[in-house]
Amino acid sequence: MEGYTNEPINTAALPRFEDVELTPLHPSYLKVIWLNFAMVYGIISIAAGVAFYFIEELRPYWLPITICYVVIVLLSIFISLVSFRNKGYAFRTHDAIYRSGAISLTTTIIPYNRVQHVALHEGFIARAFGLAQIEIFTAGGDKSDIQISGIEKQQAEKIKQLLMGKIIKEEANEE
Amino acid sequence: MKNNFSQPQRQSLIGVVVMFADTLQSAIRALWFILIVWILKIDELNKIYFIIGAVAVLIGVSLIAYLKYRNFTFFLDEENEEFVVHKGIWNKSRIAIPFDKIQQVNINQSIIQKIIGVHALEVDTAGSSGKEVAIRAISHDAALALKERLLEAGYKKKAVTKEFADGLETEDNHNHSFIQISLLSLFKTGITSNYTRSFALLLAFVITSFQYIEDFVKVAGYDEDPLDQYINTEVLLRFISFIIVGIMVLTLIINLVRTIVKYYNFKITRQQDSLLLSYGLINTKNTIIRPEKVQIVTIGRNYFQKRLDINDIKIRQASGVEANDKDQKKTAIEIPGCNNAEKDLLMRFLLEKIPERGIALKPSIRKIIMEAIGLLIIPLGIFFSLAYYAFPSIMEYAIFVPVYVLFVAIMIYFAFSHSRLFVTDDFIVKQSGAWDIDNDFIAPHKIQTISLTQYFWHKSSDIGIVTLHTAGGTISFGLADYTRLKQLVNYWLYQVEASPRNWM
Repeated sequence: MEGYTNEPINTAALPRFEDVELTPLHPSYLKVIWLNFAMVYGIISIAAGVAFYFIEELRPYWLPITICYVVIVLLSIFISLVSFRNKGYAFRTHDAIYRSGAISLTTTIIPYNRVQHVALHEGFIARAFGLAQIEIFTAGGDKSDIQISGIEKQQAEKIKQLLMGKIIKEEANEE
Repeated sequence: MKNNFSQPQRQSLIGVVVMFADTLQSAIRALWFILIVWILKIDELNKIYFIIGAVAVLIGVSLIAYLKYRNFTFFLDEENEEFVVHKGIWNKSRIAIPFDKIQQVNINQSIIQKIIGVHALEVDTAGSSGKEVAIRAISHDAALALKERLLEAGYKKKAVTKEFADGLETEDNHNHSFIQISLLSLFKTGITSNYTRSFALLLAFVITSFQYIEDFVKVAGYDEDPLDQYINTEVLLRFISFIIVGIMVLTLIINLVRTIVKYYNFKITRQQDSLLLSYGLINTKNTIIRPEKVQIVTIGRNYFQKRLDINDIKIRQASGVEANDKDQKKTAIEIPGCNNAEKDLLMRFLLEKIPERGIALKPSIRKIIMEAIGLLIIPLGIFFSLAYYAFPSIMEYAIFVPVYVLFVAIMIYFAFSHSRLFVTDDFIVKQSGAWDIDNDFIAPHKIQTISLTQYFWHKSSDIGIVTLHTAGGTISFGLADYTRLKQLVNYWLYQVEASPRNWM
């Protein structure tokens, strides 16, 4: 017990997570989003076209249906853009921070000493742009995990190494 | 040493009966279709063939049961540190479970096992959702001895660095009886719990019977609603209040019986540094609680329970298997009917000390507005627009709207006035609930992940929601002062990151 002190901590002087500058996602990731977007809505448009061609009863309603569809597409474009802008991540000495969301903004923080494992994913389209996704798992279940998409492959590898290093170090400390 | 389980051994001989019941049950399950045909055609069938058939099935089942019993052996392989089970009649299998993979050992008793006086022992392992190995018939003493050995062996291996192995032997031998929940406490719990659910049931019943009366009126061909004219209002009111009182009494009795059957003879004993729970009238259940695995402790009680000095304690442990939040709520271990002294004793054991309340954080008044929108304005808006545009017939139910509004408004108001977050250096306590008031206790080092959420329309008033994820479920608090929440998050992060304490 020598050298043990128990000073009251100054809570105001604690490092503040909200002051950390978050790294935005890689700009190329926006292209990945648009490509996925084009694919999904392209398929829906084709299906709608086919439906209009074959089902005559639908034709009188083409105007309201088209207007609804265009509004939905525009709204989703807007939301995708906002959520891309909002996304950001940071790795501090002791924890990982990730912010996401469009209508609501959620900041999730995982201390490294609670990380169970780290996974690196490469999507089909994302790989073409040299991007990867980092997923950090804890024991707290699905909702407590974070997935950071749109990180450059090399960067992602480095992050994974860093996290793995931290996990091993934390485990060593416990022994 | 009476039995050290080092030699392969069979189950209790009387266990053949349990095997027989099990096999018969699975045979019936497999042959139920044929059985139904038989029963339906019982008159046409030749009685002799029927009896022969039934006897043949019974003999077959007995033979299989006996062979199952013969071929099932288990022992502790101390050398390889494994629990080994051999089983199977045609396909022999050997199942070996390393001691350190054993999560829990449960001793249960079904009704057949209770009659013949044996117990079932189930070994729960990490990494699989099902119970991997179950011994179906074992005497009580042997079950306890085996359980002790299994857990102790696993414990020793897991915690070589911890130096409690010496004290183990002496402490093992006398398990202190810790708490026993009396029948009176269970009675108190039974008559005071689940009111909200009962009320919802009551409302659903009234609405359906209203529907039924309306249909009846239509079918009977009355032009006018007889509720207004033909039936004496006084008689009707008396009838309705009679029905309502009847339902109330019925739900009370059902709750009471359910509570007593489920938790009859609730005993908590202390064993080494864990708690052993056993309870149940028809099926006896045994569970272990290890303080280091406990993630969230919830203490709940309503106004009546406060008067009667009983608490309902729910304990959520870290689950070996990945489960979603809903499942974890279900798997929470419940200890009903503890009085304050028992509650304090349990809290001291599970959380190391009795938590103090500390500084309270109140939710913003906007919480009421949010909940009113979610529970009143949106559902009623949907109801009225449906009634107006699509189904005018549902307009009749509009007379229940005032009851609904009143009920929900009262609930929202009380939920708001009870909603608090208390923070001290050692604990985070969330108080919530309208009628049943729950207090969730979390120690900061159990936190896995923290998230903060803010809707864009809450930015200007600087309010938000904080969510703490643990391995035993999550706790959310909001809408509260966002600046204050951010300070708390920084503090909790400091506590988690700077402390060497692990969450399990």
